[in-house]
Amino acid sequence: MKNYPIWKSFTAVSLVLLGIIFAIPSIIYDENSENWFLKNKINLGLDLQGGSYLLLEVQLDVLYKEELDNFVDSVRLISRGQAVKIEKINIQENEVVVFFSNKEKIKDIRDSFFQMYRGVTLQINNNKLSIKLNDEYRKIIQDSAIKQSLEIVRKRIDESGTKEPLIQRSGKKRILLQLPGVKDPERIKDLLGKTAKLTFHIVDNDNVSALQNNLAPFGKIIVPDMYNENTKYLLDKRAVVGGENLVDAKGSFDQTEGHAVSFRFDTEGAQKFGKVTTNNIGKNLAVVLDGVVITAPRINSAITGGSGIITGNFNAQEASDLAVLLRAGALPAPLEIVEERSVGAGLGADSIAAGQIAAIIGMVLVCIFMILIYGTFGALANVSLIVNLFIIISLLGTIGATLTLPGIAGIVLTIGMAVDANVLIFERIKEESLKETKVYQIVKNGFDRAMSTILDANITTLIAAVLLFAFGSGPIRGFSITLSLGVIASMFTALMLTNFLVYMYLSFANKKELKL
Amino acid sequence: MFGLNKIIPVEPNINFLGLRRNFLIFSILAILISIGLLSIKGLNLGIDFKGGTLIEVSTKNTSIGELREILSSSYSDVSLQEFGNENIILIRLQNKSNQESIETVNSVKNLIQDKVVEFRRSEFVGPTISSELLFRGFQAVSFALIAILIYIWLRFEWQFGFGAVVALTHDVLFTLGLLSILNVEFSLATIAAILTIAGYSINDTVVIFDRVRENLRKYKKLELVDLFNLSVNNTLSRTIMTSLTTLLALVSLFTFGGEVIRPFALTMIIGVIIGTYSSVFIAVPTLLIFKFRPQDEDD
Repeated sequence: MKNYPIWKSFTAVSLVLLGIIFAIPSIIYDENSENWFLKNKINLGLDLQGGSYLLLEVQLDVLYKEELDNFVDSVRLISRGQAVKIEKINIQENEVVVFFSNKEKIKDIRDSFFQMYRGVTLQINNNKLSIKLNDEYRKIIQDSAIKQSLEIVRKRIDESGTKEPLIQRSGKKRILLQLPGVKDPERIKDLLGKTAKLTFHIVDNDNVSALQNNLAPFGKIIVPDMYNENTKYLLDKRAVVGGENLVDAKGSFDQTEGHAVSFRFDTEGAQKFGKVTTNNIGKNLAVVLDGVVITAPRINSAITGGSGIITGNFNAQEASDLAVLLRAGALPAPLEIVEERSVGAGLGADSIAAGQIAAIIGMVLVCIFMILIYGTFGALANVSLIVNLFIIISLLGTIGATLTLPGIAGIVLTIGMAVDANVLIFERIKEESLKETKVYQIVKNGFDRAMSTILDANITTLIAAVLLFAFGSGPIRGFSITLSLGVIASMFTALMLTNFLVYMYLSFANKKELKL
Repeated sequence: MFGLNKIIPVEPNINFLGLRRNFLIFSILAILISIGLLSIKGLNLGIDFKGGTLIEVSTKNTSIGELREILSSSYSDVSLQEFGNENIILIRLQNKSNQESIETVNSVKNLIQDKVVEFRRSEFVGPTISSELLFRGFQAVSFALIAILIYIWLRFEWQFGFGAVVALTHDVLFTLGLLSILNVEFSLATIAAILTIAGYSINDTVVIFDRVRENLRKYKKLELVDLFNLSVNNTLSRTIMTSLTTLLALVSLFTFGGEVIRPFALTMIIGVIIGTYSSVFIAVPTLLIFKFRPQDEDD
């Protein structure tokens, strides 16, 4: 013991102390603790604490199609200004092809169009102008759509009262949502399932034949009623004002109309709204939400105050949900749920309990086995094994890693694999004891010779774990984290702590010969 | 005093390599059967890779038959299964379009609402996601095999890398074959198990190879077969010890870890046994293909 370096004893002892101290917050596990120290506890994954995981995909195709429609409208407007007649318009997947009756002004039309939409690919072929949605243009649409969607989703989730949600972009066109504690995600799914695009349009009551033929003239659209699909309205395509000008919306109750949503416009919206209502007294104003008319009341007088109410056949919940949607704003494109995993708190608690039992029994079995096989040395290895478990827990807590069900499996697995380094060392010591007689020399050789094998053997496991982290998703990553931490911790405990314990034992027991 | 390790002699002398032909035939047969099974019967893909909807409920006073009756009148493709005990039932539905499936979850929940104590979990994996997950799983396993090969290559001579990868491929195929026979559900967790098996098996192999390399330097005159035999014997007690402790932990996980983790634990148990076997009987004999010493050729 005399020659045992102080730094080694110090490292071994502090390894144990730090491991135990920093495992305390996770073992006590006070969920709401504000204490800076107790906060360093393990985060439980959704599969253990209960909650919902949703993966949403932004329906970009809808946006691309919308943009192509915009192209068509703009080309029509420009060519009308230039007094050029359009013969035919072909809308393809990525491209709009416009056939003009003559090719004289086609270059001017192209140039004016380019002023409005920079970045699109324009091509003239005789009397044909093709407008192409190229990759860069699509990427711009995509990026801004995801950014906006993220923001809107965040607002809606916040409004829904979910605590500590995790909302992030995932890949090119997806949004990942983790909602801890949400048992029933149906309401959230409802909230996210609506685009909530609100617009106000003047109703055209004069053109009756258009409605009869179900064919909207240029500049008009036909929109069905929300409650009765067969009731249709002919509306100005251009919205008078839209949801983006709202500053507030609340569920309210009106004596005569029942549950309603009251809203308030910003200055710009109030001005537009005031002007339109002043100029269109006697006409109807349709309130359109996601392509259906909620209501289309008659404008009896100019509304200049910038506020109003939307009535429909709402109940209280519907009115307040609509208000939430309007406050949060419209999604640029619909969201589709492509993956959902929800775990109730009951299953989560069961999983934790089962995992704990499996870990404890696994631990006891391995410890008994080690003592049966290696006697005192086995007992020393067991001390290392237990400290190893503490270190894994404290590392998980301090780096703020998330523990999942596969993560627990990883811990139980490492209990079995962690003794490997000790076994390698003991087997070496056993071999060395046949050649050497000096106890300390035997032990030293045993540790030294086992070292490179331990490194080689564990690095391969780490490679597998790292790749699992890179390619795995949620819960599986939890497994690769605990497995990696367990493997690394087991190397340290074997080489530092077991080493220290073996020397301590040999020195206190004053062993003159070593039979392992 | 305990110290049962004396049961295993310090320097055992078992002629492992002498049996190599028998085991080689056994393994080749096993691999061929596995490949056959995988291509004919295939794996029991879970919703991670097949897509679909899964709802786990706990019931009271309601038999699985009653639930089946309620649901099968509305859905033709519904399948129910007891999960762990008779009060917990798994309901699976095949994939439809994303929107439809989400609505299915809702209407299934509504149909059986009053028979159920708790909806323990519901999972839905859409068709695009499931094929992505499968692809990524394949990627992870292939990259892991390549990365391990490169590591062994760097640390040892390339011949060792070859031996290790032969053994690894053997382990992965053999394990998949057994999963197919036993009809174990193949999920994301199974991919994790297979990667871990790869790491574990290579760990075993590396320890023996390490000793082979050491002995190659130490005993320059020894016949290669004898030298390999010696190396396997040198490391035998470690090989057995580590496999046993790992298996102890895994058996505990299998027995007590709960229903959800059971397929993972089972896959790992199979893999650890196969991985240990292959390190001794496949990886080492594969090295015999190569001549490690120039002078061997002169003899």
